[in-house]
Amino acid sequence: MRWLLSFLLLGLLSVVQAVSSSGNKLLVVLEDLAEKSKYSKYIADLEGRGFSINYESPKSDKVALFELGERAYDHVLLLPTKAKGLGPALTPKLLLDFINAGGNILLTLSSSNPTPTSLVSLLLELDIHLPTDRNALVVDHFNYDTLSAAEKHDVVLVPRPDAIRPDVKNFFRGDGKGGDVIAFPRGVPQELGNTSPLLTPILRAPRTAYSYNPKDEGEAAEDPFGAGPQLSLITTMQARNSARFTVIGSAELLEDAWFDAKVKRSVGLGGVGTDAKSVKTANQAFAAEVTGWTFNEIGVLKVGKIEHYLNEAGVKSNITNPKIYRVKNDVTYEIEISEYSWDKWVPFTPQAGDVVQLEFSMLSPFHRLPLTPTTTTKNSTIYTTSFRLPDQHGIFNFKVNHKRPFLSNLEEKNTVTVRHFAHDEWPRSWVISGAWPWIAGIGATITGWVAFVALWLWSKPVPLKLTTSGKKIQ
Amino acid sequence: MRFLHSLLPSFLVLGAGLAQAASSWGFDDAVISVTGKGGAGSAFKDKLSDHVPLAKPVTLGAADSLKIVLTATEAGAAKRPHQAFLLVRDQDTGLEATFPFQVKESGKGKVDFTQKDLPIQLLTSSQPLRATLLLASFGSTQAFSNHVFNLDVKTDPNVPLPKYEKPLRYGKLDEIHHIFKADPKSGPKIISLFFVLSILATIPVLFGTWAYLGANISHVSKALGTAPIAHTLFFGSILAMEGIFFLYYTNWTLFQILPPAGVVGTIIFLSGTKALSEVQSRRLAGER
Repeated sequence: MRWLLSFLLLGLLSVVQAVSSSGNKLLVVLEDLAEKSKYSKYIADLEGRGFSINYESPKSDKVALFELGERAYDHVLLLPTKAKGLGPALTPKLLLDFINAGGNILLTLSSSNPTPTSLVSLLLELDIHLPTDRNALVVDHFNYDTLSAAEKHDVVLVPRPDAIRPDVKNFFRGDGKGGDVIAFPRGVPQELGNTSPLLTPILRAPRTAYSYNPKDEGEAAEDPFGAGPQLSLITTMQARNSARFTVIGSAELLEDAWFDAKVKRSVGLGGVGTDAKSVKTANQAFAAEVTGWTFNEIGVLKVGKIEHYLNEAGVKSNITNPKIYRVKNDVTYEIEISEYSWDKWVPFTPQAGDVVQLEFSMLSPFHRLPLTPTTTTKNSTIYTTSFRLPDQHGIFNFKVNHKRPFLSNLEEKNTVTVRHFAHDEWPRSWVISGAWPWIAGIGATITGWVAFVALWLWSKPVPLKLTTSGKKIQ
Repeated sequence: MRFLHSLLPSFLVLGAGLAQAASSWGFDDAVISVTGKGGAGSAFKDKLSDHVPLAKPVTLGAADSLKIVLTATEAGAAKRPHQAFLLVRDQDTGLEATFPFQVKESGKGKVDFTQKDLPIQLLTSSQPLRATLLLASFGSTQAFSNHVFNLDVKTDPNVPLPKYEKPLRYGKLDEIHHIFKADPKSGPKIISLFFVLSILATIPVLFGTWAYLGANISHVSKALGTAPIAHTLFFGSILAMEGIFFLYYTNWTLFQILPPAGVVGTIIFLSGTKALSEVQSRRLAGER
């Protein structure tokens, strides 16, 4: 009853609370509405952030991702179901269509409920591989929770993830103080294909973890599905249209029980954690970050104004965004970028070591230059660069193609014509020293011609002189 | 019991760190060997210790195969662990390959691998690879993990390494700066000036030659006397036409010069008729 009340209060609050940058309609698919209570804190968090939630069972005939050909929801949360499949309304094709239409999906797996084959094939299509044993789960004899899994070692304790690369922003580091522990109970590990740049793991298994099937517990793990950081525990896929798809290997991670749980780590590699104390898990904050990222609450970029103009010899032209430039013009390009952070647009700053780049391209880039931030407004940063257009005429694009893990894709293209020099834009012949003899030649010809005209008009004949031999000389 | 444990060599190290541990995993009789192709003659053989890594890195040649045989023990008694892994780690990048042991019920385990089984990234590592042994299982028994030896991979210099192409990952790309064609250049100015002077020198040569041959303009007064307007206009408009051409060269456009050129051309035509008639009359009078 109490939580119902707090629900109501939060519901009221959500009216004033800001929401995700791409809408607040969330569909939660779960087997049984009664299961909702297991996730009450997580759901309260979602409602507190302004999502309006619909709950449907996959068996229900009301569940539909599309209505009249349009997306019916902005986001979908799939909680584990016992059923073998998800029914005709949630086929892999429809889920992919939903992603293609820009919807975000948060998928949770559980080793206690084997993943429906339809979802396995959906994941395969995205190059995310699940263990072939349908009951497989990830264990770690070095990083388990001694309070809840002293025997089975299937509650893996993982620290907050590091940035996947130094130049990638880490949205999942919490307050950054360290020491946080995430409990990952009985989760299904995933392996990622190496070829897709769209896939990024948020959380990887520790070095000593591996996947096994509890059904053949007696035997040794001689051929595990995967081991160590190869196993991804939480995987993300950001499609080209920036729709986000996240797989959380353990749905239990979101349960109330693990939001509050106290855990105590086992002795790890090299004797780490011999004197571990029992600590509260960071699951609640971490789940909020993972969900927030998936549902476009963080890491969303937006482009504001784009301007380019002629900037010859430091003099800014008043004409912005002209359609035509000349080869070797000096040009300045400006782009305004904002980043969404939970409830507002803030100025976007790339991670240290990363940079926003501008390409000036005709088929292939002729220039690829870093854009430097010049001005910061309340909710955006203006990036700019100046450069000389290449000495090649044609149809060119100013192109900002900013694709980074965990940030939504920016692809901005502004087409301009680059013409060649007009006949009167070349240097004049008198400044070319090689032309001087020719100019002098014309001068000599004209002088000779004018003098000849004068001679022709006014010359007086000289008297004829004859030589002795009678030939005439003049 | 604890006294007994401390007698067992395999517990010496773990026992020191983890005095409270009820029991823990360890191993006995671990032998590492590297054999060349065809198993001919053991190239290298040593015993692994559970608390200090081998002093020297183990060298693994291109055709060699590395084999480790051990007996896993739980609390001193041989037993099969669930996890018996050899982790081989690239110390530059932190990339790690896992080699699970084939363990029998009796706890006897073996693992063998060659260079072919190592990922390409590890073959090209600049430092020796760091091998860690993991022995662990379910329950409360303390797991074993220790750095056991370093592995120095000697690739065959005659065989090129398999090509490793970095997969596409989104990130900053290399900068590109367009390389402009070089501006056209003139030759040395001194040469141009020499030719300018030699061309200009032809004018005095021309005038001199004409003067030597008796060229003159003595009929100016006569011509002006007969047809003053025609001669002035004709010669003047020829000069004006040259002036128009000069303006066209310096800053006028074609459409700017066409009207004055038309006017001046008409004047040339009309005055030229008269002026040339006068020239003809002089010729007819035998004065030319």
